Order: sequence, then structure tokens, then C-alpha cells
Amino acid sequence: MRLEARSSVAAALLYAAALVLTVGSAPTWCLCVGFAAVAWRMLVARGHFVRPQRRRGMRFLLGAITAVLVIAVAATFRTVTGLAAGTALLVVMGALKVLESRARRDDAIVIGVALFLLLAAGLAGQALWRLPLYLLTLWGACAAMALVAHADAQFSARAALRLAARALLMAIPLAVVCFAFFPRIAGQFWALQGEAATTGLSDEMSPGSIGELATGYDLAFRARFEGPPPPHPSLYWRGPVLNAFDGFTWRREWHSCCRSLPLQSDGDPVRYRITLEPTNRNWLFALDTVDAAPARDVNLSYDHQLTRTEPVVTPLSYEAVSHLRTHTDAPLGKLARQLETRLPPDRNPRTLALAADLRARSGSDADYAHKVLAWFRDSGLEYTLEPGTTTLDSVDTTLFDSKRGFCGHFASAYATMMRAVGIPARVVTGYLGGEWNPVGGYLIVRQSEAHAWNEIWLDGRGWVRIDPTAVVAPERLQRGVYDMLTASLPAGSVLLHGNRWFNRLSLLWDGASQWWQEHVVEFDLRAQFRLLEKLGIDAPQWQHLGWGFAMGLIAWVAWVALALRRSVARGKPDRVGRAWLRATRKLKRITPRAAHEGPIDYARRVAATRPDLAARVDALAARYSRLRFGPGAGREEIAAFEREVRRLAV
Amino acid sequence: MHATAKPAGGLRSRLRRGAARWARRRQGEDRLPLQLATRRIYILPTRAGLAFAALLFVMLLAGLNYGNSIALLITFLLAGFGLIAMHLCHRNLVGAVVRGIATVDAFVGEHGRLLITFENPADTARIGIECETAESERVTVSVPADASARAELGVPLTSRGRLPIERIRLSTAFPFGLFRAWTWLHLPLSLLAWPVPRGRREPPPEIASGGNAPAVHRAGDEEWAGLREFRDGDSPRQVAWGAYARGRGLLVKTYQSPAAHQRMFDVANVPGADVEQRLEQLSAWIVAAHARGERYGLRLGEQHAATGSGSEHRARCLNGLALYGSGEPW
Repeated sequence: MRLEARSSVAAALLYAAALVLTVGSAPTWCLCVGFAAVAWRMLVARGHFVRPQRRRGMRFLLGAITAVLVIAVAATFRTVTGLAAGTALLVVMGALKVLESRARRDDAIVIGVALFLLLAAGLAGQALWRLPLYLLTLWGACAAMALVAHADAQFSARAALRLAARALLMAIPLAVVCFAFFPRIAGQFWALQGEAATTGLSDEMSPGSIGELATGYDLAFRARFEGPPPPHPSLYWRGPVLNAFDGFTWRREWHSCCRSLPLQSDGDPVRYRITLEPTNRNWLFALDTVDAAPARDVNLSYDHQLTRTEPVVTPLSYEAVSHLRTHTDAPLGKLARQLETRLPPDRNPRTLALAADLRARSGSDADYAHKVLAWFRDSGLEYTLEPGTTTLDSVDTTLFDSKRGFCGHFASAYATMMRAVGIPARVVTGYLGGEWNPVGGYLIVRQSEAHAWNEIWLDGRGWVRIDPTAVVAPERLQRGVYDMLTASLPAGSVLLHGNRWFNRLSLLWDGASQWWQEHVVEFDLRAQFRLLEKLGIDAPQWQHLGWGFAMGLIAWVAWVALALRRSVARGKPDRVGRAWLRATRKLKRITPRAAHEGPIDYARRVAATRPDLAARVDALAARYSRLRFGPGAGREEIAAFEREVRRLAV
Repeated sequence: MHATAKPAGGLRSRLRRGAARWARRRQGEDRLPLQLATRRIYILPTRAGLAFAALLFVMLLAGLNYGNSIALLITFLLAGFGLIAMHLCHRNLVGAVVRGIATVDAFVGEHGRLLITFENPADTARIGIECETAESERVTVSVPADASARAELGVPLTSRGRLPIERIRLSTAFPFGLFRAWTWLHLPLSLLAWPVPRGRREPPPEIASGGNAPAVHRAGDEEWAGLREFRDGDSPRQVAWGAYARGRGLLVKTYQSPAAHQRMFDVANVPGADVEQRLEQLSAWIVAAHARGERYGLRLGEQHAATGSGSEHRARCLNGLALYGSGEPW
């Protein structure tokens, strides 16, 4: 490749690498435009195309293409601001620059575009697996800078990569110091538009909706406990609480008139920290029953659901304290009782009839609740992810026709049975259990752990958790869905999940990701102050951060100056000079060299005294003057000269 | 080694000249060989470096605004990288040795040349050292580790006489083009601009010098007179490249005319009113006589060069023409 082409090829390749980072955030057509520009550039560099001359028409053509592409971006996003549209614009502009790049300055601009794309990619995603991609792109960018700055045959692409790697490695300590101590100013100067897809539990539950969710292996959240984790069967992660039923779908209705009741807890509180994956929904998850809202922008409702004012669009961490067993002596309000017993009267007639029959044979509400559970256990219900089709009378279908269901079906049926006889009941959705990660010491809760259960009101005890799934499929309390219902799950994920090594590796990777999330991604001003406290500073202030920053910077600068210094000792001869000195020292016995004497004259004089050495000394002097005064000398020539000096015997 | 065009001057070049004058007062005159010390090397960010800093600022703002750790990490890494780049740029010059600078004079309208020999005593190569003078083009040279290299700087000669080379600027933007480190060399160097050989007058007749030389002499009928060491002022055309290739060093071919006849050129004997035209005529005669291998002498008022031949003699005579009227001895 020609040296002049090297610069633009390096810039174009870097731009291509930056494009790869934006896959997923920039629209596909933008990426196609970008990659096409890079491909064209490479073909030009290889001489397949001759670049068109710069003409007036070309200018207009480029201007027209620019306008079309900008309009296309605006049409795609209906705006040209915001992260996604901005990224797309950058991609398009970079492609144009790659196309029309002529001077090294254009190549430098392409590198700048690539660095901006890297920034945009970093803003869009901070997951651990993306880190190597970011670092590789950064490395490429630094090497490309060197190649753009120097079209020199003696400076190879490999040397540029090596130099860039060295510079970046040396920059790491400074980056760490800055990262730890550079004060994170709280608050936003401008806002980011969230465009995340909605995942996870919704605030509605129809037959089959939980089952759909449970086939996914995606991460819902991670929980790290202070102290030992509670046993698996008590890990009921509370999500949306549903209180309105139309015979088919359970929904959440918001009632501001209901008050939360005073709770007495039985047993020790559980303290833990949850890192929630983005859901683009407002609710947070916590162990049953959480005692306070974990943050100022989170509301704890009367039915113990946590709701945030803003949707969760980036990973969110919060600390919570929960009580696994609670009771209350307070009576349920009249209005609340009325709300929690509503049922469509003309739906699920067979279920209503069964409820009336069982209630008539029971002594109390509690006895009835047990009798219904026993009925669930004994009537041959099957726990499955594929319950088949259902009718509008969904509970009747589940209990009497198909006799198949997932947790949502059973919770819906049980709540209906309770409400049918006037016992306040509701459906709670969330997750049950989780996978313990021994590497990181925390619990991984996946979408496959999605679950639905009930709460019924018993006077004198308060809201009591009842899980009808636990009587139909008792093993669900001990194991995740993945271990139980493998037949209905996607074959690939079951195969991977069943492999011991894959499990270990995935746990390891998850541990690393969690560490990254907790200690790097979520590192903020509070974390900085915590770090200062660990370093022994009581009541840390801004100026302490400043001191840490300044000291780290000074130490790093001193280290770099030492590591990169070069001796500038005066008058030290170079290799050629040293070898020539050795030669003259050998020849001194024949005749010493006069201070003003040039090498050729000296050699002539030596030859006059010792004709036997004439040829050798002449050659030596000629070589020396060529090395010294010629147009430059490489290592091999110098080494040859040194060999000749060594062989010189007087 | 390759040459690039010089950007047009403006406020920047005025500032640069001012700084150079200040450096001249600060550093004094230099002597060769010269090892570039830290004290005399200056460094500033380039335009690309300023753009890079602006980019870092934007990245920092974005990172702080969104509380985005990755953006901040990338920013801090790049900031450290920039500072390392500054160090690497600076040390690309520090410790380099300017072994010698040879000057090659030329005719007005041609390029005189400065041959700068660099040595690199360090164990890493020095890439992209750019050399320039106020008048010259910019030439880039790289010096491998523990080796030497030569930069050949062409200086356009526009008027007859001595062109002092006030300063030579050595600079580098290695390795990432974000910073430029430079130094000025102030050396007692000058180039002589010989008058252009021009004129159609017949040269003055030959003077027989007592020899029994043949009267007629054909051009190119010279006798081989052997090789001698290269000296400043020799033309590359005279260099015995064959001998150089065989490793015998930079030698110059010399010829001697077999004839013993000679001419004497005297500025007083050249007709014409314009001094420059007369000098150009003399220059033409000298060039022609040299090409034919004749022996000739030159008289310019009180100073004169006795008859002689060879490149050295030719250079001496042409130097005399260049310096005519300046009162400098030659």
C-alpha cells in the first residue's frame, strides 16, 4: 500500500470499528451507508477505482447527498437531536468524510468522528462485555492518529500500534486516579431521551402472560444480602399487586383512599441491595414485605408496592429492608374490603358454585382457605407452561376443563374462589427464588423466575400470603422453572443451562458483570465519599477529592517523566564514534592520529607506515566517513563497521 | 525523507519570528556538533491537539452530565494518552545530535543546499524530524536507533551574494500529531549565490604559458587526474558514486586538462555598463572553461585568483563573482 493511502485507510478502518459499536443504536440503513463508504475507500486505496477529480459538479453532488442523508435521518427519528438521532447523524457525516477525504486533515476529522461515535456508544451501553470493544476502538484511534500524522516508511503500522498501546497502558494509572477522585458533579446539564424497550412484568395479568415471560432467561435483577440469604422458598420478590378482575384479566387499580396498615414483624429484618435491569416501567421489586421506600423518588403504596416516579431506563441500584413474616391486628377498612372482594357476577359460574359449596362445609375463613388449597392439590391440576387455549371464563376452564395451568392461572383461580365468598383477596406478581452466584455472593433473579401468588385477608392476622402453585407443584418452591419444565422451554437454552461448565462460566461472567455494575458503572459522588472514608478521612468533603486528584496527578506525571526520560549526557559518542575510537586506539601504536586529521588522511598515513595494513585501514576509514558523513546509515551497516574494527589486528 | 510545502505566513509566522528572536537572545550562538538539550526545546499543541482537547472537554461534560462511567473512563484514558503524547513528542528531539551541516552553493535561481547530518544515540528511532529555514521548504527526516541520517534542505537563491542562514528550525509532531516540539539552531552559516552563467561574448584569447601545448583543444578531452575526498562545495555530479557504492567513502572525480594553455578573465575587460551582466558573462566563461577542462584565472579589481582548474578552483572563482562588490575577501 502506498504511504499516502495508509493514512486514509487507517482512518476509514477506525471509522468502521466505531460503526460496529453503534450496531443496535444507529438505524441499519445508516450503518449500510457507513460500511459502503469504507468499502469504497478500501477499493480506492487498492487502486481498483480512480478517485474522481475535485470539480465543481462533485461539490454540488456531495452537498446534495449530504442534504438527502440529513433529511433521511430527520425522517427516521422525527428529530435531529437526542442520542439516537445524533449518533445516526454522526454515522452519516463520517461516511461522507470518508468518501471525500483528500488531505490528512480530512482523515483527522474522520478520527474525531470515530471518537464521538465511541462516546455515543458508551452513553448508550455500559455493559461489561462492551468494554473490550471500546478499548480496542480506543487503541485503534490512537494508532490511527499516529499513522495520519506520519507517512513515513520507517514508521510502520505495527510500530504505530505498539506506540499507541504503550501510551494507553501508561495512561491507565491516571485514568484510575481521575476516575476515583475527579469530583462527579451531581445533576444533569441536559437530559437524555430514554428509548428502551419495555421488558419484564406488566401491571396486567391474563392467562398465559406470566408463562410467556418465564420462558426467557434474561436477567431481571441481582440481589446482594447483608448476612446469609433467606432460604429459597421464602424469596417472594414482590412486584405489581393486582386488585381488579374482569373474569379474564387481573389489573391494578389505584385507590388513593386506602391507607396502609401498621404491621408487626415476626423475626429479623433482611437487608439487601438490588441492582435492577432497565425495564422502562415504574415499579421496583423488593422482598415481601418491604418496610420503607428505598429512595425519595419512590413511593410505597398501601399494598406494599414500590413505584418510582420515572421509569427505570438504566440499571438502578437501591437498598431495602424487608420482613419475611408480618401480621397486623388492625381491622381492614370498609372501602378496602369492598374493593378487594369485587368479582364480575356473571363470569366463571362453575367456580362460584364450587366456592359456595366448599364455604358451606367450612367452619371459618381460614378453614375455607385450607379446604380450597386441598381441593387444588387433589383435583389433578397440572403445572405446565403450555396450558392450552382458554375461554372468557378463564377460571372455569383452568379448574374444570383443561385442568392445566401455570402459576398465573392458579393465582387467578384461588383469588376468585376467595372473593366469591367475600374474603378479601388479591394477586401479587413478581419473582420467586433466584439462582445463587457463589462467585459473587449474590442472587441472580431471571425472567424465568416470574411468579404470581395470592394474599388473602384473615381477621386478626392481616394479609396472609398463599401460593396455590406450591400445592399443585411443591417443587417450584425449591427450584426454578428451568429445572422443572424443561420440555416446554427453547431447546438451546435448556442444553446450555444443563451443562455444568457453561453454568460455572456463566456464573463467573455474571459475577464479573455485577462487580463492574456495582463498582464502576454506579460509581458516583457518594461512592467517591465512601472511598475517601475507607482511606481514613472522616466526613469527606469536595476538597478531599481535590487533594486526592492533585496528589495522584503529580505522582503520575513524575512517574511518566521518569519512565520516558532519555539520557542527554553531553559529548557521549554514538556507536559509530565509539567503534572509530577503538580503531584509532589500536592504530595508535603505528602512528597516532592528529586532532585535525580526517579519517582518509589518517588512513593514508597509516598505510604509508604499514603497507601490509593499507587495504584494511583504507576500507575502514572509507566506511567510517560514509557512516559519518553519508546520507544516513542503518543498523546492519553499523554492525558491519564494528565487526571490521574488531577484526583489525595490528 | 520528503519535502512538503510551507504554509503561508500570517500572525502565526510573525509570532514565530518574534519567539525565534527571543530564543536567539536566550540561547546565543551554537557550535557543532550539538546535542539537543531539554532547555532549548519548546513545545505547544498543534491545531489537531487543540481539537483533541475540545473533544475531551465535550466527552467530560457528557460523562458528568449523564453520570456515565464509561464515557468518563474513556475521557480520562484519552487525557492521559494526550499527556503521554506530549512527553513522547518532546523526547523525539531531546538528545538528538546535529553532527554537522554542510552548505552547497549554487547559481542564482537555483537551490543552494544545507546538508544536515543527524545522529541518534538513543536506542529508539527518531521519526519525522522536520527541518526548515525561513526561506527553505520543509524537509522530513527519520533517524534509526543508534544511527545517523542526513537531511538535504534546498534553499532558493534569489539574488547574487551571501545569503546568511540566520536559523534552522528543527521540529517534530511525532508520534500522534497532537503536539509540536521544536528548537532553533543559530549557526554562522551562509550560502553563496553565484551569478547566473549568461552572455554570448567570446572569451578572451588564450595566453600561451610557455608550454608546447597544442593550440586546439576539444571539449571533453580531459585527462583523468584521480579521486580526492569530498569537500564542501563539490557538485554531486562530480562524486564518484561507483566508488561510494564499493564502500570507499564520498570521493570526487578530478580531471586535468592536458593542455597547458590558459585564459585570464578580468571584470575590467568585460564590456558593458551593468555590473551584474558583466559578472554573469564572467560566470558563463568560467563554467564553459571548466567544462572544457581549461586552465583559467579570474581578476576582480584588486583580488584575483591565479590560473588553475578543477571544481575547487571553479567554486573559488564563482565565489569571487558572488562576493564582488561586498568587499569580502574570497
